Amino acid sequence: MRLDAHSHVRIKDGRLDVDHCHSLIDAGDRLSIDQMWCSCPASQGMPEPDQIRLGNDVVIEAMRLYPDRIRGQCFVVPGWYRESLAEIDRCLGEGMIGIKLYNQYFINDPAVFPVIEKAIEEGIPVLDHAGHLMDAPTRLSQPRISDGVHFADLARRYPEATLIMGHIGGGGDYEWSLQALADAPTVFADTSGSVIDEGMIEYAVRLLGAKRLLFACDLSEEAGVGKILGADITEAQRQAIFWDNAQTILARRRAR
Amino acid sequence: MIIDANAWLGHWPFRQLRHNDVPGLLGLMDANAIDMAVVSSIHGIFYKNCQRANEELAEAVKGHRDRLIPFAVLNPNYPGWQRNLRLCREHLDFRGLRLFPAYHDYTLTDASSLEMIGAATEMGMPVSLPMRVVDVRQRHWMDTERNLTVPEIEAVVKACPDTSFIILNALGLESSSVFAGNREGGRQVVTDLSRMTAVMGNNIGAVIDAYGAESIVFGTGIPFKYPRPALLKVEVLQADEAQKEKILSGNLRRILSL
Repeated sequence: MRLDAHSHVRIKDGRLDVDHCHSLIDAGDRLSIDQMWCSCPASQGMPEPDQIRLGNDVVIEAMRLYPDRIRGQCFVVPGWYRESLAEIDRCLGEGMIGIKLYNQYFINDPAVFPVIEKAIEEGIPVLDHAGHLMDAPTRLSQPRISDGVHFADLARRYPEATLIMGHIGGGGDYEWSLQALADAPTVFADTSGSVIDEGMIEYAVRLLGAKRLLFACDLSEEAGVGKILGADITEAQRQAIFWDNAQTILARRRAR
Repeated sequence: MIIDANAWLGHWPFRQLRHNDVPGLLGLMDANAIDMAVVSSIHGIFYKNCQRANEELAEAVKGHRDRLIPFAVLNPNYPGWQRNLRLCREHLDFRGLRLFPAYHDYTLTDASSLEMIGAATEMGMPVSLPMRVVDVRQRHWMDTERNLTVPEIEAVVKACPDTSFIILNALGLESSSVFAGNREGGRQVVTDLSRMTAVMGNNIGAVIDAYGAESIVFGTGIPFKYPRPALLKVEVLQADEAQKEKILSGNLRRILSL
């Protein structure tokens, strides 16, 4: 079984982009991906609450379209903290399983703390778009993207939180972030992104352990599956990354 | 049969590579059922005098020429490239040329570059153009931020109408003009599939639909990258067996006269 812990659906004309959603499921069928955790974050700027809710509505639409395949992650911008807490309640009521943050705040910014505390209360994971970016244009376009250092700092403050550092293959210096997370044992990392550097999964297993890695694609589907299949790890480790670790996270949820 | 258009030997100064010597690379190829691979020396990107890297590569692949097909790395602004290109082709039996304008500080359509590409073409050597070597988002602070762009590729393809080009680590070519001049029995412009996809956006399928399976070659990027994703792309690609055979080996066998 394979569960993609970091995926996305899209908005088109104010609704779910159904064609994109169908193609996501088709890719899953062809690559044996059974389930996908999906969000629809605003990837630029500081969105207003209406825009944030629209993205989450689109995720709910996708969950209804493919109830056995798509599970939702509620995107919030923590600076809207009252609205964020209400939106998390609304989305969990619709069946979502976690929270998604993007690059509007470093994850260890105090503005994020109420959202983290809400996640702890609900027993749900927080997945954050992350990377240690090394080229100036990308870095300047995302001045508050979190890396492993930010996650490790937050994990020291909230060791009971289930934090997921997004896409070690998302393009940044993943060795930087893995080094930072090696001593932050409560933080998970997802393996998504287009980067398929030979040895990256083995190194992540060496530094974090296989039980802290989550298989994911972030829409780079063959890269996502291929790097796990191609890694020189045991079948038990592969199974943990592909499926079991995500189930462990889901089991932490408080009953509603 | 599987031929990989995108393989390398040597050390990358900014990240540890594994399987980066001949036994290691062959082992990785064996584990993934890759029969042959086009290889260049990574050192040729960084040595001021690239020819020393070509000589290292020739020595390394000696005895393995049935599986490893060497491509030379040369800088058109470094003295002696004309002699070294001829040495690579005629004495070392290199089969093509790989160029790195971002690292050797020139533009593909500079006069010196066009002169070298023309000389390689006259010797029957296709020219391989990696649009990038590594993802600049994870670059070392001493590494380049420059990738080759689609317009740069289009310009050199247009300027060299008799040259066969093998574009590596490419994105965005499906909506470009680079394949438009391919003709039966003439020069071929192909891209490897290492950064393309067979699902969702399916730009591999888009190139096949527009220009035929003759425009795509199999490429992994080993040992920089895991080879399995490239193999998966061919597995899940919605194409017939004849098209897949062209991608996996037929197109490169034609271009390299194997």
